[in-house]
Amino acid sequence: MKRFVFLLVVLTMLLAACAPSVAISQSAATNPPVTADAPTVAGELDLNNWDSVLAAAKGQTVNWYIWGGSDSINAFVDNFYGVALRERYGITLNRVPLADTADAVNQVLSEKQAGKEIGAVDLIWINGENFFTLKQADMLYKDWAQQLPNSQYVNWENPAINLDFGNPVENMESPWSSAQFQFIYDSARTNANELPRSYAELKDWACAHPGRFTYIAPGPGGFLGTRFAKGALYEVGGGAEQWLNFDQALWDQWSPELWKYFNELEPCLWRNGETYPKDESELVNLFANNEVDFSMTNDITGAGRWIADGRMPKTARAFVFEKYMIGDFNYVSIPLNAPNKAAALVLANLLLEPEFQAAQILPENGFGLGYAIDVDRVTDKTAQTALQNAAAKLGDSATPASDLANSLVGDSAAEYPNLLEQGWQENVLQK
Amino acid sequence: MRGHPLFSPWLSLAPALTIVMVLLGASLLYAVAESMDFISVIGQDEISLNAYRETLNLNSEFWISLGFSLWISIASTFISSALALLLAVWLSERHGDADTLALNWNLAFPHLVWSVALLLFLSQSGLLARWAVALGLISTPADFPILVRDRFGIGIILSYISKEIPFLTLTILAVLRSQSIGYDVVAENLGAGRWQRLRYVTIPQVMPALLAGALLVFGFIFSSYEVPALLGVGYPRALPVLALRFFLDPDLRARSEGMVISLVITLIVSVVAVLSLKIEERE
Amino acid sequence: MSRYNQMKHTFTYTLRILLYLILIAPLLLFAAYAFSTRWFFPQPFPVEWTMGTFQRAINDSRTLSSMAQGVWIAFLVSILSLILALPTARVLGLRKFRGRQLAWLLLFLPTVIPPLAVGMGLNILFLRIGLAGTITGVVLAHIIPTLPYTIFTLSSAFARFDENYEYQALALGASPWQIFLKVTLRMMTPSLVVATLFAFLISWSQYLLTLLIGGGQVITLPILLFSAASGGNPSIIAMLSLLFVAPPVMVIAFTARSLNQHGNEIREQY
Repeated sequence: MKRFVFLLVVLTMLLAACAPSVAISQSAATNPPVTADAPTVAGELDLNNWDSVLAAAKGQTVNWYIWGGSDSINAFVDNFYGVALRERYGITLNRVPLADTADAVNQVLSEKQAGKEIGAVDLIWINGENFFTLKQADMLYKDWAQQLPNSQYVNWENPAINLDFGNPVENMESPWSSAQFQFIYDSARTNANELPRSYAELKDWACAHPGRFTYIAPGPGGFLGTRFAKGALYEVGGGAEQWLNFDQALWDQWSPELWKYFNELEPCLWRNGETYPKDESELVNLFANNEVDFSMTNDITGAGRWIADGRMPKTARAFVFEKYMIGDFNYVSIPLNAPNKAAALVLANLLLEPEFQAAQILPENGFGLGYAIDVDRVTDKTAQTALQNAAAKLGDSATPASDLANSLVGDSAAEYPNLLEQGWQENVLQK
Repeated sequence: MRGHPLFSPWLSLAPALTIVMVLLGASLLYAVAESMDFISVIGQDEISLNAYRETLNLNSEFWISLGFSLWISIASTFISSALALLLAVWLSERHGDADTLALNWNLAFPHLVWSVALLLFLSQSGLLARWAVALGLISTPADFPILVRDRFGIGIILSYISKEIPFLTLTILAVLRSQSIGYDVVAENLGAGRWQRLRYVTIPQVMPALLAGALLVFGFIFSSYEVPALLGVGYPRALPVLALRFFLDPDLRARSEGMVISLVITLIVSVVAVLSLKIEERE
Repeated sequence: MSRYNQMKHTFTYTLRILLYLILIAPLLLFAAYAFSTRWFFPQPFPVEWTMGTFQRAINDSRTLSSMAQGVWIAFLVSILSLILALPTARVLGLRKFRGRQLAWLLLFLPTVIPPLAVGMGLNILFLRIGLAGTITGVVLAHIIPTLPYTIFTLSSAFARFDENYEYQALALGASPWQIFLKVTLRMMTPSLVVATLFAFLISWSQYLLTLLIGGGQVITLPILLFSAASGGNPSIIAMLSLLFVAPPVMVIAFTARSLNQHGNEIREQY
């Protein structure tokens, strides 16, 4: 009893002792303190004078918040961009690896909440959902993407580029690469003639081979799983274009069908669908270790990056369904409170350099995603040839370009992924 | 030095006490404030109990996670206590320091690394499964039992008991070795068998220490994140995993819900700690 | 009788070997994965050995800087905890005074309140005062779990400490500073070493507090390992695990004996 009283005394003391500090920080929150030595950053970079941007960037460190789940992508970023930034522009690259891009968004938003005018994040490799979040919060640096010198190579007329998840890009993010959803199988294990070519066939295949298929749980970190489920939604709803704009009635009409599809699929899945791999890497391990027969990828090089990485057997190959293989571009964006905007701009521009675009799709370089630029817009003949040669060297483990093109559809409006992930949790996972 | 009238022990205690109290007090206060949206995430700072309503309503995932967390904590605590008791009794009859030295071995492996090792060793296509194939016991990964990343938290429990048994064993051994062997010998002379001695002499002796230790273990397991995050599945999730997921959600309104869960965890752990303290005191 | 003794000897010996095997089994497991590639089910042993992962880890500035940062943070944490703990532990170990129990309780609190709650609570405060994402912030946060253990370890050593040595030195004309350095510190050395090492280890292996206070800007090895471990490349995971356990394994190997006295106190923070 005596000690219990002690504990109570302790707690009261703790609360009493700390009350004033809260009062102080409350007032601090309403009037964010102006730090004297804060470098002035907002607004005065002259993007029309690129040399002045380069001069401002020199000596800066660019903090690039980037998904860090792939070692080969990490190495590519360090070895290609990191080296070039240092040697050509005198910029240091600080790659901040993230488990989920949402963590970077969280960082920026907490800074906003804390009233920090100078943040920590300079550049984010961002996806449509998080772009949408930051745009809504008004925390994105504006009017820059089309001012980059290399933006001339980007086909901004293309709706697949000027819309990100159906959300207008509005000069607030710059493309880096392109990707398309595909499946991966092991040619040593599965006969190419027996591969399913639609979601309906996939269900039949799965139930004919119980426990040999699973998909990534749609949700945070499970971006490919969301994309897989969206493809199913397209097939169930009979079309892709209708999903480009958000329409609640349309969702209400087709989502029950989607849950029905997944719930019928579930008993045939790996571990009877009791659990799902939570990200791409986990599915790759299941596939490589013969627990399941298919994996998924977004890479233009198909299984190439994974083979080069020693994560998949050399006999792994990519394949697509006949329809509804969602493809899109991915982007980088700069937070409004980025401390080193000039360096971030230089890096964003470097990403679009034809030389680096050609390097990024080669399987042996470990990045594996496609071009963001339009090869025809590159006027320099050598650069254009390099780009064309690289595209021709994707290897056996990639899906043939014609198959990719025939099955390609665009992504949906940004509202759907959230609905889908939440609905999947409630109607499929927790059922 | 000694007995100097101006010398107060509190002067020496001040630096450490201040640091602990300021940091802990501030963190608790901020947690409470944020859970009530008093220090809010987006925009207005107004007190509201929304996060509590959201989290504690009967349909929320919170209850499932609470159940799951209680299950893994109670099961791990119970199993490791029982095994630690047997091990300690067995060891107390032997002398030499190889035993206690070996009990310390797992100190070298923090929970995070230990879980990674279990993952590589026990998964359905892990090393043990591969050896089972080599021995002709199974042929596909699906034949191997699901021991990690399973729905029932078996992997989590395995990880915890293998880490906590040494802790509890050493706790019990300390008591057993500090006692004179008298009672045991008396009981033996009176004709008590091995199990009778265990039941009527040894267990009552070590019970207070074991109980206090077990409660500490429970509190630790109930509130720790790494092991269930690594060895658990997406659903059901342990409470700390759920709390951190909310806290790091890009939708900042979820942060206060994360805070609510973290406060619930703190509350439960504190209650358990008080119990443990009282038991230790009674001893 | 001697035969029985010999049997007993053999048994203890075997037991010892077995225990040491268990001790190194995880290390062997990690090594097998770290130095091989394309090792898929159902091959019982690696088929393709490689130094590639090791070279990549060594050449990756991330790995090295995270290790350096982790060592630096752990170093600062142990020094600070020691400085804070010494006067506290001395008083708690040697004096009886009113409120001693209260002091114990207060200092005991951090072991009860989960790092999850502490980290989440400090997150905003540190953001506001500019400590989030800094080494200083992370060091401060790490002190919360290390301090109680440093205090407990040192105070139990002070409880066995005989102050008369200090008085003798005083009588012989030594200055207080000389007494502190030459008598007090010297007599306390074994416990100081243990306390420092374990403060170091607790900080070195801290994941949650680093994540929540470091906010992705302070990267230590546990942060890298955790993000790799949630489903990633087994070779990298195993390599990072090896690097991660290297300091603890060495510390345990060197302090095996004194551990029997103090080990249990810190175990729970692990």
